[in-house]
Amino acid sequence: MSMPPSTEHARSAGTAAPAAAVPSVELRRITKRFGSVVACDDVSLSVRPGEIHGLLGQNGAGKSTLMKILTGLVVPDSGEIMMAGRHVEVNDPQTATALGIAMVHQHFSLVGRMRVWENAVLGELGRVDRDHARRVVNEVGERYGLAVNPDAYVDDLSTGERQRVELIKCLRRRPGLLILDEPTSVLTLAESRELFSVLRRVTTDENTTVILISHKLDEILHATDRVTIMRGGAVVARRDTAGTDARDLARAMVGREPATWTAASAVGSMDALVQGGRAATEGDVRLRLTDVRATARDGRPLLSGLSLHVRAGEILGIAGVEGNGQAALGDLLSSLLDLDGGTVEVGGSAVPTGEPGAMHRAGVGVVPEDRHASGCVLDMSVAENLVLTDLDQVSGSVLVSPRKLRERAARLIEEFDIAVPSPDTPMRLLSGGNQQKVVLARELAARPTVLVAAQPTRGLDVGATEYMTERIHQAARDGIAVLLISTELEEILTLAHRVAVIHRGAIVGEMTRADVDLERLGLMMGGRAA
Amino acid sequence: MTLTRPGARHADRAPVRSRLRTPLLYAVSFAVALALAAALVTVGGHSMADALLALYQGSLDGGASIGQTIDETTPLLIVAIGAIVSARAGIFNIGQEGQLIVGAAAGAAIGLFVPGPGWLVGALALLGAALAGALWAGIPAVLYYWRGVDVVVATLLMVFVAMQLVSFAVNRDYLLQETAVEGQILSPQSDLLPEGVRLPRLGEYPDFNLGTGFVIALAVTGVVAYLLRHGKWGFRLRMLGLNPVAARRAGVRAAALGGGALLLSGGAAGLAGGVMLTGGVYRIQAGFADNVGWEGLLVALVARNHPLVAIPVALFFGVLRAGGGFLASTGVPRYLVSVVTALLVLAAAFPAAYAELRKRRRPAVEA
Repeated sequence: MSMPPSTEHARSAGTAAPAAAVPSVELRRITKRFGSVVACDDVSLSVRPGEIHGLLGQNGAGKSTLMKILTGLVVPDSGEIMMAGRHVEVNDPQTATALGIAMVHQHFSLVGRMRVWENAVLGELGRVDRDHARRVVNEVGERYGLAVNPDAYVDDLSTGERQRVELIKCLRRRPGLLILDEPTSVLTLAESRELFSVLRRVTTDENTTVILISHKLDEILHATDRVTIMRGGAVVARRDTAGTDARDLARAMVGREPATWTAASAVGSMDALVQGGRAATEGDVRLRLTDVRATARDGRPLLSGLSLHVRAGEILGIAGVEGNGQAALGDLLSSLLDLDGGTVEVGGSAVPTGEPGAMHRAGVGVVPEDRHASGCVLDMSVAENLVLTDLDQVSGSVLVSPRKLRERAARLIEEFDIAVPSPDTPMRLLSGGNQQKVVLARELAARPTVLVAAQPTRGLDVGATEYMTERIHQAARDGIAVLLISTELEEILTLAHRVAVIHRGAIVGEMTRADVDLERLGLMMGGRAA
Repeated sequence: MTLTRPGARHADRAPVRSRLRTPLLYAVSFAVALALAAALVTVGGHSMADALLALYQGSLDGGASIGQTIDETTPLLIVAIGAIVSARAGIFNIGQEGQLIVGAAAGAAIGLFVPGPGWLVGALALLGAALAGALWAGIPAVLYYWRGVDVVVATLLMVFVAMQLVSFAVNRDYLLQETAVEGQILSPQSDLLPEGVRLPRLGEYPDFNLGTGFVIALAVTGVVAYLLRHGKWGFRLRMLGLNPVAARRAGVRAAALGGGALLLSGGAAGLAGGVMLTGGVYRIQAGFADNVGWEGLLVALVARNHPLVAIPVALFFGVLRAGGGFLASTGVPRYLVSVVTALLVLAAAFPAAYAELRKRRRPAVEA
């Protein structure tokens, strides 16, 4: 198979053709299925040479899969890729690189214990020429305003600087097409601005084409020339950035009111939705966070002045785009995160943060976002996992009673309908849905006054999702204050009485379920005050 | 080999393969070790058959030999139990050799200089040995939980500090060195413990004879095995070792529980030193530890951190130690004996070490 001689095609096409004549990259009718899930459904995308093209959509809209297809990480089921008007086959990342396609992934691929220049030449063949590599890093850095010391260790760099290294890695190959996946999710505002001016320089000076994946409306409006909006694996809108505004984009990104009401009635939470407003104002406040602030180890702010409260019998949904402080919020209520400032009160009394087990003792049950990391111990049995946090209930002062352990396990397995051959089965062998049931059963068995459910249905099949949804709803009916943290808007709209939007570590807006205005919600999730 | 690529699809096939793989691995590694040993012994001008016979005679043939084997097994087992406790908490203490000799030195100091009835001083010597071993492991524990200093490195380096410390003490007549006798040059060793302080022995040479330290070893093993399996402490220890994040969420204080496990493992090594001292050696010198700490660690490794499995494994290592001593006395050079027993130890440790390595590499491969 003949391979087009790399970057020249994209580049020469870019310089020669006036805008819109021959697209720099064109994806035609791309479809990709993963099992029964359609990640990309007949998607077409056309990007002009030398433009910054925005790709906007919520989590799971199919943006990343589309770009993985373009970079050769995923092979599409059908469809065609054209570069500069010629058909190309991108079957592996090497081919993509040879075609001049470079991508900066959301999660950096740098070796922390190596120097910047070493990272820049990583993966290259032949002799390592240190002086040359350092010169290249300096040159590329100067040309694009990406100053970074080539001899610094990556571990010692800030997140913004690390991204510069990633960009230098890409740009030194002079790519015809540069793809950035959520590049600003780890950056400060100033760093983001800097990045966009670099991108502008790259497109105007070098006529490089840039695809910018984002869910931040401001960013799209500020930095792109045109934008393609995806939802549910399909393209739902295309806009010239100059002729659109945040409202328009938000509406397209979030879509019409999802089929919430049918879903809600299916799991029996209809009445809750109808009475949503009432429940929110009646019960006692069980959980109150006041101006909580926390910083990550690398100095990145995690929570910046977040305040919220949840009443007994109420479900407060925390909506927002992934990476805006949801994980930190979950960690805080799992006693895994210590605060720089602010207070957490449960049932009216302050709870010390970051002290092992303190939240649990105060009556906070947590179904954590990553159940494998903190929700269970995979190499212990199901019965043992069911008592991780309440060991005292099945033991005397010294010994664990095997009889009580088994009895409790049998009771919870039956009550929560956990499909498991025996209580002694290792947790590792259970399906995701059943593992999640074990976690939920354990947390509810402790009779919490507050239940935190973080992405409770992520990765679960339809049946398990329905089960979790119903259980969470039931918990609220039983008078537990439920904090539902989810990036699935539909899940929040199905369950929550009240919706709060989290953005950059703080609650930026709040509304009752009855007053939910999707456009406003979309604007807030995209970081626009509304 | 498909086994190097873990994944859901292989999950059902892996157990069968690994069940077959383990005995096979043991067979192969022992065959290789024996072949190498035979080659070395033959090249050295001796007969391998004679050597194996001597190994057997020195360890299992007759009451005196069996007693010798059990005496060698006792400290190995105590050290191994301690190593198992810390490994269960996910902490790798590899400084037993140093903790053992520091414990023995403390035991010797108590046994020699503390007045009182012999049985009481003997008990105090054992207790002091355990405490000193715990203290020696406590320094790395504090460094780790206070400053994040790697436990493996810190415990290892403390071995050499311990060696120097004991060597210093047995070379100073105002510390542990033996009391001067007219006309004799002082050796770098302590006085012999008084009779009353020593652990009683059963039987007499040349018949079956045995120190009572093995009772202590079995008691320690039994209690630890029981508590690890049925105790709240063992439950929490496993939780901490298998998933520290989940343990923290559930209210386990890593510094207290994990640090405690590290102290216990040091205490066990110290106790092993005390048992060796009061049970048969009776005096401390620079070479006192004689690799018992390292080999006890290997026992834990081969037993894959199961306290009850550690009993037969420690016995096997005890056989090699006792038999090796006898083999040396039949005229095979000492270095050759060391090489042969080391090869057999390697053969026993290799499959477990290999499994451990694979287990640690797997998450990296998956990620």
